[in-house]
Amino acid sequence: MSMITKVINWSRRKSPWVLHFNTGACNACDIEIIASLTPCYDLERFGILLKGTPRHADILLCSGPVTKQVECRLLRIYEQMLEPKFVVAVGTCACTGGVFSGCYNIDGGINSVLPVAAYIPGCPASPKAIIDGVTKLLESLEEKPKENKK
Amino acid sequence: MTEEEKIKQELEEGFAYLKDLVIIKRKGRIFADISLEKFAEVFDYSVKQMRFETISAITGIDTGNGFSVIYHLNREGKIMLNLKVDLSKEYPEVNTVTAYFPSADIYEREIVDLLGIKVNGLSEGNRYPLPDKWPKDEYPLRKDWKGISSKKEVQDA
Amino acid sequence: MHEPGEVRIPIGPQHPALKEPESFLINLRGEKITSSSVRLGYNHRGIEKACEDRTYIQDLYLIERICGICSHSHSTCFVQAVEEIAGIDVPIRAKYIRTLIAELERIHSHLLWLGVAGHEIGFDTLLMYTWRDREIVMDLLALLTGNRVNYGINTIGGVRRDIKPEQKEEVIKGIDILEERTKYYIGLAQEESTILKRLKGVGVLSQEDAKKLGVVGPTARASGVERDTRRDDPYAAYGELDFKVITNKLCDVYGRTLVRLGELMESYSMVRQIIQKIPDGSISVKFLRKVPVGEAVSRYEAPRGEDFHYVRSNGTEKPDRVKVRAPTLANIQAVSKMLEDRYLADMPIVVAAIDPCFSCTDRLIAIRDLGRRGKNTVAWESIRLKGIEWYKKQGVDFTVLNKKLAELF
Repeated sequence: MSMITKVINWSRRKSPWVLHFNTGACNACDIEIIASLTPCYDLERFGILLKGTPRHADILLCSGPVTKQVECRLLRIYEQMLEPKFVVAVGTCACTGGVFSGCYNIDGGINSVLPVAAYIPGCPASPKAIIDGVTKLLESLEEKPKENKK
Repeated sequence: MTEEEKIKQELEEGFAYLKDLVIIKRKGRIFADISLEKFAEVFDYSVKQMRFETISAITGIDTGNGFSVIYHLNREGKIMLNLKVDLSKEYPEVNTVTAYFPSADIYEREIVDLLGIKVNGLSEGNRYPLPDKWPKDEYPLRKDWKGISSKKEVQDA
Repeated sequence: MHEPGEVRIPIGPQHPALKEPESFLINLRGEKITSSSVRLGYNHRGIEKACEDRTYIQDLYLIERICGICSHSHSTCFVQAVEEIAGIDVPIRAKYIRTLIAELERIHSHLLWLGVAGHEIGFDTLLMYTWRDREIVMDLLALLTGNRVNYGINTIGGVRRDIKPEQKEEVIKGIDILEERTKYYIGLAQEESTILKRLKGVGVLSQEDAKKLGVVGPTARASGVERDTRRDDPYAAYGELDFKVITNKLCDVYGRTLVRLGELMESYSMVRQIIQKIPDGSISVKFLRKVPVGEAVSRYEAPRGEDFHYVRSNGTEKPDRVKVRAPTLANIQAVSKMLEDRYLADMPIVVAAIDPCFSCTDRLIAIRDLGRRGKNTVAWESIRLKGIEWYKKQGVDFTVLNKKLAELF
């Protein structure tokens, strides 16, 4: 691997930028994600920055069971992100549909629509679990640097 | 005489056919069953003369052999008057109450979308809560609805 | 619907707000909003239908997850309706515990709102401070119920967990700290000129419009409509507590801010009263799985306004019909009225002021200039920053205040 590639990979692992998206959740996971950015948990000390647009983001933090209306928007956002990109499903609803699985307007977890790299269960997933999940994802990237191509 | 008893008496005196159809469940809760033909005048009287000037919700129910629509009114947030009207299974139709309550618009759209009840006089507007491309004639809250039949699919909006 | 020369912007729909993420269609002439309309239903999960397929106890956990911020509100409202149909008399200690959790939830929700409102006007330090203070309440809730959100404390017939004396002391300690901090925020809201300039006169809703459109909660109370379900239709232990209903006649976002701050102070006083007065006794009574035929209407004062549940049972262990009308649905229709004749820069704070459960994520906006072809995609974050820049040009700048406060603590 050339020097430039090494530096780029290092910066991606050390400072991933995330985009948060709610696909029809009750909001409990969303406020826990925002709580993990505020003092007390503070994700920014790991280099994680919350961005507002998919074009700048490396990681898509998704919560909620995917409702039918939101499905195409979720896909559109995923396509706008640049490679390499990872999807993290936050909360039980995002993993499997949670209490809403089987409802008529729900597809199921995020993995029915997008390839998911990490699952963080919990109802809601507490900020400690979110930090743990995201850092585990980053560690797994470190061990296999060649596999961060999609 | 309690406030609830006064209301019951006033309704029964104003409309003789309401005798025995106005029930006080507990403090602050009055339920009344009204036939479709007489509904408009009872509703008008309750809102204008008896000052039940706030509407909390409109509930639509599929009772199996027909539909019911309940209008939940309250007076200054204290006593709730729940007016129920029964509709037939073949022609479930009511008239809009948006002339009295502009905010009832969204509650009426809900019963149109989820139960297929026709609301006469409802103005043009966005549907709620189902997506725009939801197939026609699929009413999720009806008791016999078990899922979208395989031939139709929800297209993405 | 729009005149030539106007630009139409759709804002939404991916709105992080749970039950009612909304999509606004706004017509602009220059910077001024001429009219707007709202489209809802993006978060429709089919909960009412799902309730009919599950038993009452399973429904309790489903209803709790309608909203993550007011989960206890929905759960208590539902349980009250079921208990009314079944004719169950809940022990008084259980009612007090429900009220305690309800007031702690109101505190956490109002602090959350305060932070979000600060974020929308550009005052990020307020977001960080209030959410840090909110962690005190989250720790108390986790201590009492076992979870930070979605407490699961209710069961049909009472509550599932009791309060121990050591926990009572912790609650009082936490409330003391929060009261000091809230007094500081109230002082800030009343004296700081940058905040006053951004919030006064914005999102005006007259008392007459508030009554006509049927708004509820702090949005109504800030327009002089004195309604509070805790006082008008007492439930749980509210009949035995002493509290004021905070109203004012300012009719704008500033008024709503003051109402919420006042309610925080009242909640602290109520929590102290509960801790002092809570009687001994059992915490639940037995509930047989089948509920007799009947129907009931239950109302609850959630942090956002009147929450309304209607339950109908048919004698089996599954309900026949569950209807939920959340407070935001009653308030959202007033937003179109509030946006009339305002600047685009005020849009984020006007929407946030009715507290549509949460407004912190990205929304994509496509701006279409009616004179030319082609679209431009703009993010919510950009509209928010545009608002901040616009106000900077008018002389309202939060960066100085942010720095001063960061140095203080």
